[in-house]
Amino acid sequence: MAGRQFIGKPARRVDAADKVTGRTRYVADYQLPGMLYARCLRSEWPHAVMTHLDVSPALNVPGVAAVITSADFVDDGRFGFPVRDQYILAHERVRHVGEAIAAVAAETPEAAAAGLHAIRCELEPLPAVFESAQALAPDAPQIGPDRSDGRHPNFLHSEIVRLGDPDRALPQCPVVLDAAYSVAQQEHAYLETEGALAIPTPEGGVVVYASNQSPFINREILASVLGLPADRVRVIQAPVGGSFGGKDDLNYQASAQCAALALKSGRPVRMTFPREESMIASYKRDAMHMRVRLGALPNGDLQVCKFTGRLDSGAYASQSVFTSWRAAVHAMGAYRYEHCHVDIDCVYTNNGYAGAFRGFGNTEVCFAIEQAIDEMADALGQDPLAFRLRNCLRLGDETAFGQRLEESVGLAECLEAVRKASGWDEKRAAYARQPAGPIRRGLGVAAVFHGTSLGAEGADYAASTISVAEDYSIALTSGLTDYGTGAATVFTLIAAEELGTRPERIRLLRPDTNTSLESGPTVASRSTMLGGNAARLAAQNLRQMLDFAAASLLNCPQNRLLRVGEAYIGPSEEPATWERIVDHARSLGLILSAHGRWSAPHIHWDSQAGRGSAYIAYHFGAHVAEVTVDMRTGKTDVTGFWAAHDVGATIFPQGAMGQVYGGVAQGLGYALMEEARYEAGYLQATNFDTYLIPTAKDVPDITCILLEKPYSQGPFGAKNVAEPAMVPAAPAICNAIAHATGRRVRDLPANLERVLLGHALSHSDGGLACKIGLARPR
Amino acid sequence: MKKAITLTVNGDRRELYVATHHSLLDVIRNELGLMGTHRGCDTGNCGACTIQVDGLAMNACLLLAVDYDGSDILTIEGVAQEGALHPVQRALVEKGGIQCGFCTPGMVMNALALLADDPHPTEADIRARLSGNLCRCTGYAKIVEAVGSVQ
Repeated sequence: MAGRQFIGKPARRVDAADKVTGRTRYVADYQLPGMLYARCLRSEWPHAVMTHLDVSPALNVPGVAAVITSADFVDDGRFGFPVRDQYILAHERVRHVGEAIAAVAAETPEAAAAGLHAIRCELEPLPAVFESAQALAPDAPQIGPDRSDGRHPNFLHSEIVRLGDPDRALPQCPVVLDAAYSVAQQEHAYLETEGALAIPTPEGGVVVYASNQSPFINREILASVLGLPADRVRVIQAPVGGSFGGKDDLNYQASAQCAALALKSGRPVRMTFPREESMIASYKRDAMHMRVRLGALPNGDLQVCKFTGRLDSGAYASQSVFTSWRAAVHAMGAYRYEHCHVDIDCVYTNNGYAGAFRGFGNTEVCFAIEQAIDEMADALGQDPLAFRLRNCLRLGDETAFGQRLEESVGLAECLEAVRKASGWDEKRAAYARQPAGPIRRGLGVAAVFHGTSLGAEGADYAASTISVAEDYSIALTSGLTDYGTGAATVFTLIAAEELGTRPERIRLLRPDTNTSLESGPTVASRSTMLGGNAARLAAQNLRQMLDFAAASLLNCPQNRLLRVGEAYIGPSEEPATWERIVDHARSLGLILSAHGRWSAPHIHWDSQAGRGSAYIAYHFGAHVAEVTVDMRTGKTDVTGFWAAHDVGATIFPQGAMGQVYGGVAQGLGYALMEEARYEAGYLQATNFDTYLIPTAKDVPDITCILLEKPYSQGPFGAKNVAEPAMVPAAPAICNAIAHATGRRVRDLPANLERVLLGHALSHSDGGLACKIGLARPR
Repeated sequence: MKKAITLTVNGDRRELYVATHHSLLDVIRNELGLMGTHRGCDTGNCGACTIQVDGLAMNACLLLAVDYDGSDILTIEGVAQEGALHPVQRALVEKGGIQCGFCTPGMVMNALALLADDPHPTEADIRARLSGNLCRCTGYAKIVEAVGSVQ
């Protein structure tokens, strides 16, 4: 962009030097004098009632300093938003394997483990539900909280989209597709496991360092369950070793457990999770069963979409109310229809529990709709990419839920970009003629649209503070967390651009509930737009003071000021350094401190009608995957990948492209190997030896194309990228498998069995991995 | 049970009295306070704890400390000399091979061993050698490019 110094220009991550030298301190690296080590006793049953719980014997174990249960919290430690159905420690019942029951703090991790063994806990197993299809059976055991509306307590939530009358229109369509798809639970597999450190304060409060996503939400929960005023609870964001949506609830529980133990013992308490405990206890991407019916005219015009989905929320609601809404809004894909109904229901089961994960419902529904679109193209005898171009949403179109797209719509351009870059037309033709043999090649495409930020989910705002320090450096804060995304660098570059200072002069302080401003949750790919706009406004406000001071010093009107680097130049053409301007501003009595707050434009969704404006803007993208499939083994290799994304504008190119590469890799894992499978409520993979994620050998060269259709309200035109970078990868790969083999894999993951045999091979370890994992001595 | 051992760690000779069931990772983190070597899985699957033992890249979580009496250990803290990043570190910073940073030290340690063995690896060599170091953020693209750019 012309005239810009830093936006869209090559830059380094602000935290890169610390990370590459091993100086970054994650929670597990914190050591304080007198610090205790905490550990949780966790349920070995998927559903049970607690008939007896006596923690006092643990206190007789040498080295044990404190033990807590649900009785140590206000209202038994109940929390959760929007459904308050979880506990910091289980209260009377456990609803999934790995649910925390009691927590011990001790001098050593070994003593903490010994303390857990001394606890007398008797659990009486209850009947459980493991199939989401059976959750609402009249005789299904109750898992969810009591309801007053007469509905089954295992019913959690439903969301709809309504356009026209698909039931009437579908039978009249000359070409109809009806197919069922399913996706498995997925583990986030952040390399750093969960953790928190709580330090008691002399005022009777607590300071918590946590590997969480949203420190202000953590503070709110802590204050509530500890019965402390908010000013006695301070949450400081620790560096986060990966999150992907996964560091919400469980880290808030760990924070509250550590805080209660710290208050009880009067000593710092740290808890960090071994990998097995992390996998067993943590929430997953939801599993979903979906049915898609599409109707089209013989010329290829899509007419009808009817989409139903059943989301397995597991034992608790966590984010499923919001996940199901995002799933509903995106379920029909980025296409024009005359008629469209979407129904997403979510239910409780005893399969762990589901929460936020990159894509947040869209990753799940995109897998179904983007394969269905391919299957419809096949039925019509049309090229799947050309079929998408014919029907995709363009500028001025209205979505199925009734939102007119008035700016920043780059889907067709993304499809054209991957078509060209991948050599789509030539390769599709060549692979259609490939000779028979055991190794088959194929090319597949998928498209995505993805609403930016929270949309109609809730109040959407963020805030930043900025000030000039004594040493002339600039301290910038955001209420949003950089858990590896590059958001800290984005905020820094935006502030530098607005202020006309070098990025190196700016120090982005970590989010801290005492010093940064509440900004809503760090979720939904909202950091660049929300946090970026807040940082931009804060910097503009500070700039006004500096411009005022410069005009005063250089004795000219502000519109005569020029900038050369950081220096100001007035009519005398004698440059005044940054330091001189700052000194002069101070001599004028100016306090060089400002803040900025940005609220997203108001939008409205009518949940009863299933229509409205869902999000302020949409990201658009398209992926093409090239695969080879060995027909003797079912093994699929992804040999090429092209990803085009309309990000609005690029602030930090290295960071934006990094999100695309990482998103594609995570989608590749989702497509081919990742399955957090529960058998009778027991997770079957509890470490990286059995839960496989892509290695450097599994991920091919990825061609990343960033397209820029600016969004007027985004900072410098930017939208979002982190989540949608993952969303279409799995359906693109499965469409490529279908192209290569003629076999359609409609259930994830497309592992060897599903590609070779067309179905999964069931096997169960009888809960052994979970039981061993929970019994691990440290 | 405890046993006395001697390790040379990042060039410094250290006399230690360690529990016989503790891994080199336990000792590096808990006894020596070198926190740049990360614990990701404790089962040798993720590579976050990769160090060099007598010049070989190894998972510190899989090695009993008492078995390595007399060994020469290099951790991430010993790589940058007098504040100057090693070319591999510099390449990771410049190319964008770092996101959350948790896998980064182990990745550096393995890449250094790779380049010591083979100063001119192909991309396939790099991918194969780094396949024991899991990264969930970057898709490996810029890590592979960074290592390949160091000649």
